[in-house]
Amino acid sequence: MFLTRSEYDRGVSTFSPEGRLFQVEYAIEAIKLGSTAIGVATAEGVILGVEKRATSVLLESSSIEKIVEIDRHIGAAMSGLTADARTMIDHARVESQNHRLTFDESMKVESVTQSVCDLALRFGEGADGEESVMSRPFGVALLIAGVDENGPQLYHADPSGTFYRYDAKAIGSGSEGAQAELQNEYHSSLTLAEAEQLVLKTLKQVMEEKLDAKNVQLSSVTPEQGFRIYSDDEMKAVVERLEGSEVPLV
Amino acid sequence: MYAEHFSEPATSHVASAPIEHQFYPYASNGGTILAIAGADYALLAGDTRHITGYSINTRFRPSIHTLENLGGPERAIVVAANGFSADGDALVRRLAQRAEWYTYNHNKPLSVSACARLVQTMLYGKRTFPYYVHTIVAGLDESGRGEVYSFDPVGSYEREQCRAGGSAASLLMPFLDNQVNKKNQYDAATGLPQVATDLPLEETLKLVKDAFSSVTERHIHVGDYLEIKIVTKEGVKVEYFPLKRD
Repeated sequence: MFLTRSEYDRGVSTFSPEGRLFQVEYAIEAIKLGSTAIGVATAEGVILGVEKRATSVLLESSSIEKIVEIDRHIGAAMSGLTADARTMIDHARVESQNHRLTFDESMKVESVTQSVCDLALRFGEGADGEESVMSRPFGVALLIAGVDENGPQLYHADPSGTFYRYDAKAIGSGSEGAQAELQNEYHSSLTLAEAEQLVLKTLKQVMEEKLDAKNVQLSSVTPEQGFRIYSDDEMKAVVERLEGSEVPLV
Repeated sequence: MYAEHFSEPATSHVASAPIEHQFYPYASNGGTILAIAGADYALLAGDTRHITGYSINTRFRPSIHTLENLGGPERAIVVAANGFSADGDALVRRLAQRAEWYTYNHNKPLSVSACARLVQTMLYGKRTFPYYVHTIVAGLDESGRGEVYSFDPVGSYEREQCRAGGSAASLLMPFLDNQVNKKNQYDAATGLPQVATDLPLEETLKLVKDAFSSVTERHIHVGDYLEIKIVTKEGVKVEYFPLKRD
């Protein structure tokens, strides 16, 4: 028998006597196995950065898609069981388009985040006669970045369906070290270019592989250009700038 | 001799002409509405007479509704749906509910432009069994400028400076084109067409009262009282003005 968690971690929606939902907690643990993703919000816009962990030298790194567009003013980076994110991203895209159609305005970043989180707890056996959609919680966390009438914003949504707004947030396997680094380096007057460098520098510190233009991906959301994924050339330029700015070890 | 012609069984006539059952779901309840937008106000006016056919059901049934909004009294939206009043009431009540949900979900005031698009969505949603109404929505935008949006029964809509709707719309609209949008008016000195400018509120109020007094003379569906709701940065002010009761 498993001694640690007793029988309360069998049913996905059964509370333990201590008041915990183990499956949700395990789902949050699953994210800590995923590749690192970092978001930094500044007054000029938000930068999202992810590590693209290549499991084989034969893997085409451009096929790893961990930053996606939700709407022209919102993007998301993911970590964990990335296949689960498709359901959430699809939902977010539909909600955002529906909002445009119904209200002739773009949806607020917080509202999109809320709508994604509304999905998170629709697992388990479902109510009497009602089919539930999913058998288990999502195994993925999202960093949702966007710009709306309240300016650039960054949200973190996890499998429990809770979300918080952050100035800077790291998720995934390197999140602990990365978050500590962000805590030290973040200040409210960062420019977008500085945020770019902060994301790359932090990723570099927590990545196992040596950071290059192929194994990381950056994107930005700005009031002027909306959501944008950096092209190969732009990635090359920012990585070169990072290396140029660093003091070489003797 | 002719007996055989008259001896047909009586029952053969019973089913020869089909019995007609008809249900017409719509009615017309008269009345007229009118909205004008200015630089720092928007106004929506309508008479309070409610009719069916030649009968007056009531002389006082106010039809301009106020949607309270987040962001203070100046963000309130006024709306009227004239035509079949049961449909108008249903539309306005559902709109009020959707507007309330919007503020709960997004924690911000519903803008007049977003409200207009919402009205279109709701009207077109009943494309195959329309609300039999001419709808007008008015309020102030973020900068405090007046906005007026008008709709056909299935949701086609447009932002305008002014619009009349309902029974006497065809009498009011040419008057407004001339007086508000300065159509067919030429500058005496230069001979050039006059350009429409924002009217001050006092002038607009005089115009609206005169328009309704005149239209009351010419249209039997209009009369009794005029209700005017004015949205300014102070909030929504309501004015009543007596019209002829004949």
